[in-house]
Amino acid sequence: MEKSDLTVTATLASLVLDEAETQKLGDEVSRMLSYFEKMSEIDVDGLEPTTHALQKENRLRPDRGLSNEAQPDELLECAPDLEDRFILIPNVL
Amino acid sequence: MYQSFIGLEIHIHLAAETKAFCGCKANFGDEENTNVCPVCMGFPGVLPTLNEKAIQMSYVVARALNCKLSPNTKFERKNYFYPDMPKNYQISQFAEPVGRDGYIDIEIGDSIKRVRIHDVHFEEDAGKMIHAGDMSLLDYNRAGYPLLEIVTEPDLVIGEDAEAFLKSFQRLVRYLGVCDGNMEEGSMRCDANVSINPVGVGLGEKVEIKNLNSSRFVRKALNYEIERQSGLMDNGTKIIQETRLWNENRDQTEGMRKKEDANDYRYFPEPDLPPFRPSDEFMKEVEEGICELPLVRKQRLMTSYGLGSDQAEYIHDEKFMADFFEKAVFLGADAVQVYSWLSSDVKKLLNRNSQSLEDSNLSAERLARLISMIEDGQISGKIAKRVLDHIFDEDKDPDVICDEQGLVQISDPAAIAKFVDEVMAANEAVVEAVRGGDQRQMGFLVGQIMKVSGGKAAPAVVQSVLKEKVLG
Repeated sequence: MEKSDLTVTATLASLVLDEAETQKLGDEVSRMLSYFEKMSEIDVDGLEPTTHALQKENRLRPDRGLSNEAQPDELLECAPDLEDRFILIPNVL
Repeated sequence: MYQSFIGLEIHIHLAAETKAFCGCKANFGDEENTNVCPVCMGFPGVLPTLNEKAIQMSYVVARALNCKLSPNTKFERKNYFYPDMPKNYQISQFAEPVGRDGYIDIEIGDSIKRVRIHDVHFEEDAGKMIHAGDMSLLDYNRAGYPLLEIVTEPDLVIGEDAEAFLKSFQRLVRYLGVCDGNMEEGSMRCDANVSINPVGVGLGEKVEIKNLNSSRFVRKALNYEIERQSGLMDNGTKIIQETRLWNENRDQTEGMRKKEDANDYRYFPEPDLPPFRPSDEFMKEVEEGICELPLVRKQRLMTSYGLGSDQAEYIHDEKFMADFFEKAVFLGADAVQVYSWLSSDVKKLLNRNSQSLEDSNLSAERLARLISMIEDGQISGKIAKRVLDHIFDEDKDPDVICDEQGLVQISDPAAIAKFVDEVMAANEAVVEAVRGGDQRQMGFLVGQIMKVSGGKAAPAVVQSVLKEKVLG
């Protein structure tokens, strides 16, 4: 794998890698990619991609409100910081 | 000479009770972070489930836009790191959207233009962020709201086209009842793409404009941008692909901080949501969800009722009014009369009461009856306006109001003669002047008689009785 590909992938995943990590991960990812290459050799023309192993279609919900076991207030307690009912984070604009 | 190409990306909030993939209320304006649950807050281990009504509305819109409807629509994760989505991805559609390759005919000025639709896809809205100083505030009430994105081909040419398109589209979604179409409140949003090139060369380098929260801004921003790009091209400056924001205070587009890499959202199939395959029954309901669309309706109002283009434009703008109009005509009222009442006196009262026709006490039956009472000579046009006032205020039928208020036109010549005599006796000098040839004073006498009769005398009868008595 090209090192630049790894750097781009790391950036997209918001990972900061130092030189040693880049080296180590580069080797591991290259090995993974070689497995995918092996799979790519198989002829799958005419086969429908399997994105879901169990249920293959239509799991729907009627458009009705549901009460949650977890209340909004409990969920908000998981946030590191609040201002009134807003979740407060460092500016990311 | 340059040619310009405009494409629009329109997002609409689907008018569902609940969010796209969880049972939280899809409500605007509620207290922050009250309509949230582990699914839309992105907690681990949760399972999103598709809202049946929202996906049905999506198919209705795609069908109304003449799209090829997907028999097997799929969901993908669009990955990005931004805290408006707590999951770090948005559930959207990529490979197999609800609909693609459609078109819509819209009216621009006097001509009809066909605008092709690239695709219609279902997704979830992001949360709302408020940036305050060195902190940002997050409200996830809107996160997971069912959203439909409609992407047009670059078939529009100038800002006016885009504005006309948006107005037509807004009317369409309101007719279909899938969205209130309110751009100011953000339930309908629009981004625009524009490029220019010398004539015949084809599409140029695309610039995307965001922050367009009214159709007027869309027009202004696009025309500004076409001018700006033309200026650059005149000078031989390369136009770069970028995203710009409309600044409504300065009336100009401004470049955003440039991203070094093009966005790579790494779409992949959403493992938690199986594809959706509409059943025959589902598709039947989609067909039933389609009504006569606005442009077709406008044309029919013109051909079936003899309305002019401007009159039909007014009547067809809201589906409720068009239905109201047709019902009143069906009940026997004259089409142009119904139009006249709706576009003048009724409109005035609606404005005064800040009401919509739907919320008012006027029904098609009541308006039709009012018009027939005028035609039968039971009441004058002037009295009819008073009756209309009472209908709005008291929620009663016109006949009841006329009975209660004694608002019946007097057309019996003997009864009117009494008013005439009274007025002539009180205005002897004027009567003499008329007899002496000053016809202008006749109007004064008629006015006095109308006043004495409390506005109830039939003007035509007044005229003839007066003439006979004064001039013999």
